[in-house]
Amino acid sequence: MSTFSGISTALSSLIAQRQALDVAGQNIANSNTVGYTRQRAETTSVPSTTVPSMFSTGTAAGNGTRVTGITRMGDVFLDARVRTATSSASYQTSRANTLAQVETSFTEPTDLGMASSLQQFWSGWQDVGNAPDSASARAVLLGQAAALTTTIGDGYRAVETQWSQLRATTATAVTQLNTTAASIADLNGQIRAISVSGGNANELIDQRDVLITSLSGLAGATTQAREDGTVDVLVAGNPLVTGSRAETVSILGATTMAGGIGQPPAGAADPVRLQWDRSGTPLVLEGGSVAAQVTDLGTSGPLASTATMWNDVATSLATAVNTLHQGGQGTGTPASTGLDFFSFASGLPAATGLSVAITNPSDVAAADPVKGALDGSWADRIAQLATATGGPDSLYRAFVVDLGVRTDTASQRATVLESTRSTAENLQLSGASVDLDEEATNMLAYQRAYEGAARVLTVMDEMLDTLINRMAV
Amino acid sequence: MIGRVTQQTMQRSTLANLQLNLAKMSSLQEQMSSGKRITKPSDDPGGISTAMSMRSEKSAYTQYSRNIDDGLGWLSSADTALQSAVSQLRGARDLTVQSGSGALNASGREALATEIESVRDGLLAIANTQHQGRNVFAGTSDSAVAFDASYAWTGTAGGSVDRRVSPDTTVRADVDGSAAFGTGSSSVFALLDSIAADIRTGVDPGPRLAEIDVRMDTMLGELSGVGSRTNRMTTTQGVIENRLLDLQISISDIEDVDLTAAIVELQSQEVAYQGALGATARVLQPTLLDYLQ
Repeated sequence: MSTFSGISTALSSLIAQRQALDVAGQNIANSNTVGYTRQRAETTSVPSTTVPSMFSTGTAAGNGTRVTGITRMGDVFLDARVRTATSSASYQTSRANTLAQVETSFTEPTDLGMASSLQQFWSGWQDVGNAPDSASARAVLLGQAAALTTTIGDGYRAVETQWSQLRATTATAVTQLNTTAASIADLNGQIRAISVSGGNANELIDQRDVLITSLSGLAGATTQAREDGTVDVLVAGNPLVTGSRAETVSILGATTMAGGIGQPPAGAADPVRLQWDRSGTPLVLEGGSVAAQVTDLGTSGPLASTATMWNDVATSLATAVNTLHQGGQGTGTPASTGLDFFSFASGLPAATGLSVAITNPSDVAAADPVKGALDGSWADRIAQLATATGGPDSLYRAFVVDLGVRTDTASQRATVLESTRSTAENLQLSGASVDLDEEATNMLAYQRAYEGAARVLTVMDEMLDTLINRMAV
Repeated sequence: MIGRVTQQTMQRSTLANLQLNLAKMSSLQEQMSSGKRITKPSDDPGGISTAMSMRSEKSAYTQYSRNIDDGLGWLSSADTALQSAVSQLRGARDLTVQSGSGALNASGREALATEIESVRDGLLAIANTQHQGRNVFAGTSDSAVAFDASYAWTGTAGGSVDRRVSPDTTVRADVDGSAAFGTGSSSVFALLDSIAADIRTGVDPGPRLAEIDVRMDTMLGELSGVGSRTNRMTTTQGVIENRLLDLQISISDIEDVDLTAAIVELQSQEVAYQGALGATARVLQPTLLDYLQ
């Protein structure tokens, strides 16, 4: 037990308290930093150097304190929960958003939508039936028919535009996925280097966790921690990041809706899909917004079903009207019979290829051929298609109602999953975020301890002063 | 779960609550300013189904009402024409009775015959009555007259002008001229011609009175048919107007917002929002640092 050992004990405390205060300062500085996890300086007491031996100098106090490390107060299980919740919430939110956007292209219930266009078209037939001799009623009908074909074509093209936009968004998201994976791999490398040399990589770990969470939102990533401080990131069970190496993923498939879902003018469907660049094997994601986007772009997604509905409505309308129209008779001399009312352009989807085949108003077949030249009963028969089972009106209405149900359900599920995510994030934050009161309290404690250590030093100094200077020699 | 509370968790939950309140207010305000409860299908998928069916029903009924307006025009033309045809024919019958007295000389008979011929011309003109350029007594015919100079009916057997008045009912708006007036040699015009010829040649037209009576009965029959169809259309028109009103109210019930309820809800939402704002202002301010010297 040396005379000066007390000084080094006080010094160790001064150093430890200052370091702890530095950590508190770091915490306060980052209290609003996204992804920052609070840290603690872990101090431990240093035992006395006394070893039990014959020449031991008896009981002695310990040798002060020292900082053994700076702990990052994160919880890997809460982090994993946030990632899982983020993955499913992003998936569902993305799907709900796509449906909501599809829904906006349907202006129902208004007087401007497709349902109203159809009703006007059928009324037009009744007006022609009421006045088969009126060229103006026929011209009005042809105008309404043209407006109807435009409405159907516009509906289809709106889906096409949305598909292209979503395809571009997905491509960007895949690029982001690759960049994020590369950044995680880089951080893994740095963290390993620092950990190996015994340094503190807490801030880098924070950054990496933020990136992994964002990757979960994109692609439903899960993680596996390794002993060297690095983390492997897996998507759909396969490693995307292993240590400091990242795989890349690319997006394949058509860039237009026609190709993506196999509609004319493209041939067979070339669906949008992902693949691992290195092995060339397909990647089917299980969560995250990219998974939702790839599903939505697919042949059974909401965009494909909407496009199919427009085609079905166009086909059903044209088939039903044409079949009847061929049996009726126009007013010209000689009276035209056997004409189609609608026609399809070849090489185009039914919805955009639909056009009115009749150009001369007198060719509109309003008359039953056996009931006189100015008969209007045939037009009335065609008008009755409005209420036909499986006709265009009922097809369209059923689809709109179904779309409403699906959008509503999807947005409710998205809300639920989002609140699950938010709960998981709150739990994570409640453990990891900085509490200013707590830091202030810690600061007080460290400050007081520092003051105490300084006081000990002063006392030591005075003691030694007494011993060295005041002793009468 | 009891968790640790920090400034950041508090800040987040406060922000989330404010956002929730604001979103509710915005949706209420949107409903109120647009006056619509349903602006897109997912607002109420059940409601949209009913609303769309009702809208299409409303459009159909509006069209039926238009059809009836048009049909009533036809029927009223037919009614006027048939009434004057019956009165003309009654005049011809009187003349025929008059000619059978046997006290007439040749010039008197000639005068009667000419008069009957002028009745025939009048009847022919009535039979060719037009409504908006179409023959009332040969509705589906595109020729200029319903009966030509040889009294042949230009209409098509089985062809009729029908007006749809309900999803599964049509009502005839024209009158079958061949039934009302007969056609060719069996027509009322040929009958009057042969009576005139009989009178000129001094044959007693008495036995022909029965034929005139048969004709008149037929016309009266058609007239009552026109009357009953007019009645049917008028009644249906009333029904349709009531139905349209009902539909309008139902559509409004489904699609439109209940303003009183919306205002009350908005008011309470506003109070909640202000409360949340006030709480935020108090909660986020103090920390221990404020009290340390």
